[in-house]
Amino acid sequence: MTAQEVVDLIKKNVGVPWNEQSYRDTFKMGDPDATVKGIATTMMVTFDMLKRANQAGLNMVIAHEDTFWNDRDDIKDLTSNPLYLLKTEYVKKNGIIIWRIHDHMHAMHPDFTVVGSLRSVGIKGGEDAVMRPRIYTIPETTLGEFAAQVKLLTGARGSRCVGNPKSKVSKILLGPGYATPRMTVEADVVIGGEQQEADGSFDNVEYVADAASLGMAKGLIMLGHVISEQPGMEDLAKWMRTFIKDIPIQFVPAEEPFWT
Amino acid sequence: MNISRRRFAHIAGTMAVTQLPVRGAAAPLTAQAIADRMQSALGGDWPATGPDGFKAGDPATPVKGLATTAMATMDVLKQAAQTGSNFIVTYEPTFFGRQEGPPAVAADDPVFVAKKEFIEKNGLVVFRLHDHWQSRKESDMTTGLAEALGWSKYRVKPDDVIYSIQPATAEDLVAVIRSKLKLRGGLRAVGDRKTTVRRVMLYPGVMTPALMWQRYSETDLMVTGEVREWENTHYAADIFTAGEKRALVTIGRVASEDPGMRACAGWLNALVTEVQTQWISAGDLYWRAV
Repeated sequence: MTAQEVVDLIKKNVGVPWNEQSYRDTFKMGDPDATVKGIATTMMVTFDMLKRANQAGLNMVIAHEDTFWNDRDDIKDLTSNPLYLLKTEYVKKNGIIIWRIHDHMHAMHPDFTVVGSLRSVGIKGGEDAVMRPRIYTIPETTLGEFAAQVKLLTGARGSRCVGNPKSKVSKILLGPGYATPRMTVEADVVIGGEQQEADGSFDNVEYVADAASLGMAKGLIMLGHVISEQPGMEDLAKWMRTFIKDIPIQFVPAEEPFWT
Repeated sequence: MNISRRRFAHIAGTMAVTQLPVRGAAAPLTAQAIADRMQSALGGDWPATGPDGFKAGDPATPVKGLATTAMATMDVLKQAAQTGSNFIVTYEPTFFGRQEGPPAVAADDPVFVAKKEFIEKNGLVVFRLHDHWQSRKESDMTTGLAEALGWSKYRVKPDDVIYSIQPATAEDLVAVIRSKLKLRGGLRAVGDRKTTVRRVMLYPGVMTPALMWQRYSETDLMVTGEVREWENTHYAADIFTAGEKRALVTIGRVASEDPGMRACAGWLNALVTEVQTQWISAGDLYWRAV
């Protein structure tokens, strides 16, 4: 089976009309007509994950995020960048094909990134979740205890919290990646991946800090972009195995990049 | 002349009818007068649609004291009110976004309403000073951060952001940065924790990918406020995989801008001599779960 045939099967099974205008969900490197020996799904095409995929004999990488450190994988300012040259040489030398699936994952029912993220933080009932966030009610606990539990379950070394750890919380709103939901009147805790800290369309950090200062029980848990969307790439691998049976499909995680 | 509050109220009540006799006594220094002075000292255009300008309170308010901060959070406003600073100059927004107040939040949003009420009840005036302070040729945002870290004397070129410091490992420097800036949970590092750092780039606020691509390889350590994870974080992780011994440290946008607004307090104390300007740290708003 060729990489193009893999992609065609995904398009056939995705369950939503394919948007040919998406600049994200396209081949980034490699020959679409090359034969696929094995598929690695991952959150982001880090150099480290490429090496592990290659060592495992998986020559097609299907990733949710970028390869060349910008959303459009625009390489016009990178053609003489030593790291770009090294990374592309590795990809070429090893005959790796890179294809991205981002926009269509977020359009799918369910959205695996949300399903996986909810599961990873221990929230039940999110098996049919889509991108539009909804409130999940958990047994009442404190923000500090809940954040500790989330950290333990996800292993997120770089997760960051805002709010009063002693606040009693039970209503959780989650959006992975850069789709961190805005805090609402109803929600107690927002869990997100990543978001601009200030001067954006809505600044959760300041809002939650101020709510806490005013004595309101509000909390924010920022997991990190990779950590929050990565579990969904394992769900994507499982889903692909339902219609691609004769090629190995493995989830090869991108490592959380942070130390503290 | 020492006039009691009650006596002043009485005089003021009379004055409303008879007109204030201005004889020697200086007119009250209003927030507007201070804003005019800032605008004239900093120059440039101040369009009504730009981010800089009054965000809350009455510009005609007589100013008792000034406070600068990286972000006018509720905690900062409370401290300002308690310590007699009724004019607050903030680098970042007050009402949760670039579009301050509605539409960033609903007009009846409880946090927005309570914050606005606090400002009004305490007679505070909030002014945002971002673009004009950032673009000042003295680049106080950078020098302020260097000073807070004790690295002022290590600047390589007066117009650049590279500092040649005493050699130390990246992880030791992270500990120094955390302690000097009183950080709690917002700091995150990527790359080689054991590398020996000699050349540091200080870049408060937000660092773009273009700058990272151009300059990461001339530094051992980059210190900035925030980056995007799929951009500069990804790049730093990949360079580490490629074997280059460097590290990128993000300390949080507001935390990185705090020292530069301390420098702004110094500037305002020279510009506005009638009242005191204090710096109120917005601090590290994050904590880390245990």
